[in-house]
Formats: sequence, structure tokens, C-alpha cells
Amino acid sequence: MLYLRLIRRFIAISIHEMAAYRSNFWISVLNALLELGAGVLALVILFEQVETLNGWTLPGVLALLGVYLTLGALRALFIGPSLEALAGMDGEVWSGKLDFTLVRPVDVQFLASFRTWRPLKLLDLALGLGVLFIAVAQLGHSLTFADVLSFVIVLAAGLLILYAILLAFAGLVFWSPGFLFTWLFDAFFQMARYPVGFYPGWLRLVLTWVIPVAVMTTIPAQALLGDLSPLSLLSSLLVALIFLAGATAIFLTGLRRYASASS
Amino acid sequence: MNFRGGWALIRATWLSWLQYRSFFFLLAFGWMIPPLIYLFVWSTAAGEGSIGGLTRGGFVAYYLLLILVNQLTYAQTNWTVGDIIRYGGMNKQLLRPLAPIFDTLSSEIAGKVVYMLFVIPLTALLALLLRPELHIAPGAGGAFIPALMMAWALRFFWGYWLALLAFWSARADALLALQDTLTFLLAGQVAPVMLLPGGIRALATVLPFRYMISFPVEVLMGQVQGRALWQGFAWQAGWLAVAVILFALVWRAGVRQYAAVGG
Repeated sequence: MLYLRLIRRFIAISIHEMAAYRSNFWISVLNALLELGAGVLALVILFEQVETLNGWTLPGVLALLGVYLTLGALRALFIGPSLEALAGMDGEVWSGKLDFTLVRPVDVQFLASFRTWRPLKLLDLALGLGVLFIAVAQLGHSLTFADVLSFVIVLAAGLLILYAILLAFAGLVFWSPGFLFTWLFDAFFQMARYPVGFYPGWLRLVLTWVIPVAVMTTIPAQALLGDLSPLSLLSSLLVALIFLAGATAIFLTGLRRYASASS
Repeated sequence: MNFRGGWALIRATWLSWLQYRSFFFLLAFGWMIPPLIYLFVWSTAAGEGSIGGLTRGGFVAYYLLLILVNQLTYAQTNWTVGDIIRYGGMNKQLLRPLAPIFDTLSSEIAGKVVYMLFVIPLTALLALLLRPELHIAPGAGGAFIPALMMAWALRFFWGYWLALLAFWSARADALLALQDTLTFLLAGQVAPVMLLPGGIRALATVLPFRYMISFPVEVLMGQVQGRALWQGFAWQAGWLAVAVILFALVWRAGVRQYAAVGG
């Protein structure tokens, strides 16, 4: 498999690059711990005041926080930095360096999605999974194999949707270079920290159907709590496939518009 | 001090910032989101009843005011001054017959005006949609103005002295990350300070972060009254004095050992 070999190479190169910035390690440890601490404390403060909120208890929202941190870590591990190198501030579309990427004998979408890795984010991933395990232990009911399986499926669907949205936004940069679409998305993604049920009705609709952050975190957390309907599972898979197809189309159409840039 | 030159600089900076409005609107939108999330979460939690004396409409009013105050006092010097020092841009500023603080002040004013062009209409729209309930205690308006002005000055000088640490270490980022987390937890963002659990509330009262953002809002909404009000003002003034002294000391020591790199 050429693509797997390439990914291995990309990771190796990223590790070499990272080794040059050793003090970054501690800053990244500190950042990960701060984000975790602030996230957990925010939930504890909220549930000091209320017992349950729209059917969610503290362990339930903690599981959701675990899903949120895990998805965020996976994004920061490779999807984010790879697409950022293409479409971010001073990215290749902006500077015209995309020429060199286009002439490589590999699929452009693959290169754009897997090229740059941040191995330090494995720590964030470990913390996110840790929160998940602790939350599940706190829930106090044992998970069946079916629960775990459906959790993994909807989590994968969530990751696909996250990837698709970021890819689509990277594609939009071809129309409007310089507009930082991912910043706009980041704002909405932060809302995925809480179950969609915590938001007013109109926002809930937006977060389910327009920018489906609900599908990314609320549904996987429901799977862990054991109240996931088969309909939710199917629709989350369906949404993932639709988003992936749409995003690929946007990206490839945008790519065709690319007319380079020079200084 | 050369005030005419200072004014010309302020005007020039303002005009140049206006050219980047979409970028700054995006930034301002990103800063609005965390308080907005907690606005929704707490007003859902309050439901038909009230939490700690705040009803749903009370939480809406509190967080909308917090968004405005946060935007007005936001310390953009955190990142701009640090970068100017790191990339050697301080050379130019030091050679001018103007104190470099004019440069900072001019981007401060320019920035705040541009952000407000975006934030005030948006907050007004949200207020129409979400129906806040604001009862301003008699005399609270008079206390609000000095609290707000001191909050701005405190956050400005606090951010400035932290940013000046860039004279010594290329990365004061770890400190800034820590400060962001403390601001999130202690400055009334995650919850109004009066709803924080005992230990954290005590910390919020003693540390400077609350006095940069949420204190003016608490004053206006009558959440701090009588003795607590005067104690709050005392803490705020005390921290402001500390911040100004730290700024003066760090500035003097930093400029002396500043050596530019790059060209």
C-alpha cells in the first residue's frame, strides 16, 4: 500500500521536525492539561447548581467532554495542520506554493489531508480517551458489546463529518483566498462541548442539520449512555457520507479554479 | 510628550485597521462564542425558575453585558507587542520621537473601534432575540463607569507587562495560556462569580482576572453591593497599581537589554 507507506514517512518527517523544538513539548503538555482542567471544572461548576439538565447528569456530560477532547485531538494530530498548510494563513493557496504539490504523482486530496502531523497531540488524545474511560466508569452501568460497537461507529462518523467540513472549508479558500473559514468553524465547534439539548430550539436545529456538531459529540455520548436509537445511528452514517461526498466535490471543484500566484 | 504626533499615529493606525475589517470581525466573533455558549447553558439551566437569584432573562443580560465588556477591555497587546519585539519591529518604534506606548495605544483604540462596529449591532440583535431582563440598581450606573475604566486599564497594563516578557524569552506563551485559562474560570465567563463554589470564588476575589472583565457587569447588575462593592474597588485599584508598577519595571529593564534580530 503506497498510501500507508507515505503516511508512515509523513509521520517520521514530522517527528524529526518536532524534535528541533524541544521547549514546545512542555508548553504543549501545559496546554493539554489546562484545557482538560478548565473543561472538567466548567462541568463541575454547572452541576454544583443543578442536579440534571435536560436529562443529562454529570457523568454523561463528562463522557461527552471525552468525545469532544478525543475528536479535537485527532483533528489537531493531522487533519488540522495538513489542511492549514494548504488553506490557512500563508498557506499554499495564498502563497502559490500549491504548484509544487500539484505536480507530485500522488492524489492531491490525500496529500492535503495527511501531510503534516503533530505527534505531540497524541498526549491530548490520551487525555481525551482517559476522560472517556473515567466517565464510563462513573456511569455505573456496564456496557454491552453492542453499545461499544455502535459508539465506535458513530464516533467514526463524527470524525468523518469533522474532516469533511474542514475539507470543504479548505476548498472554499480557492474562491476567497485570505478568508479564514476554519476560524468560523472553530467558533461553532466549541459548542460541541455540551449536548445540543442545552441550547435553544433554533440553535439546536442549526447544530444538527447545518453544521452538525451535534452528530459529532452528542450522538456518540448517547451511544455510551446506552440510549442511542437505531435511527440516530443510521442517520449519523448517512450525514457523514453526504458530507464527505459534498466536501470532496467542493474541494475538487475549487482545485480546478486554482490559478497559482506569484510574487 | 508629543501629543500631536501621537494623535496622527492613532488616526493612521485606525485607518489601516479598517482595511482588515473582515479579519477583525472574525476575531471578534470567535471571542464572543465562549460567553455565548455559557449564556445558553445557564439560561437553559435556569429554565422557568432561577439559580442564585438569576432568572433566564437575568443570565441573558449578564452574559450580553459580559460580551460587551470583554470586547472593550480585551488585551490585544498580549500578542501584538510580543510579536513586534520578537520580529525586531521595536527598532522603528524606539527611534521615533514618541514613546512606544503611543503605538500600542493607537492600535488599542483602532482595534476597539473596529471590533465595536461588529459587536454592538450583533449584541443588539441577540438582545432582541433572547429578551434579557436587566434591572439596574439605583446608583449602580455611577459605579459602573469607573469600574469599567479601571477594568480596561488593568487588563491593558497587565497584558502589556506580560507581553514585554518577550524581551527575555522568545516564548512567553506558556504564561499567556495559563492566564487565558484563569480568565476563563475566574473572570465570570464559565459562570457568574457568585455562583462559583467557595474555594474557586475566594480565588476569583483575590486574583486580578475578575476585575478585568466581570466586575463592572456585577456592579451594574447589583450583584455586589455595600461592603463587597468597596472591597471590590479596593482590589481592582490595588491590582491596577501592581500592573502599572510591573509594566514600568519590566519596560525599563527590557529596553535596556533589547537587541533586535533579523532585518
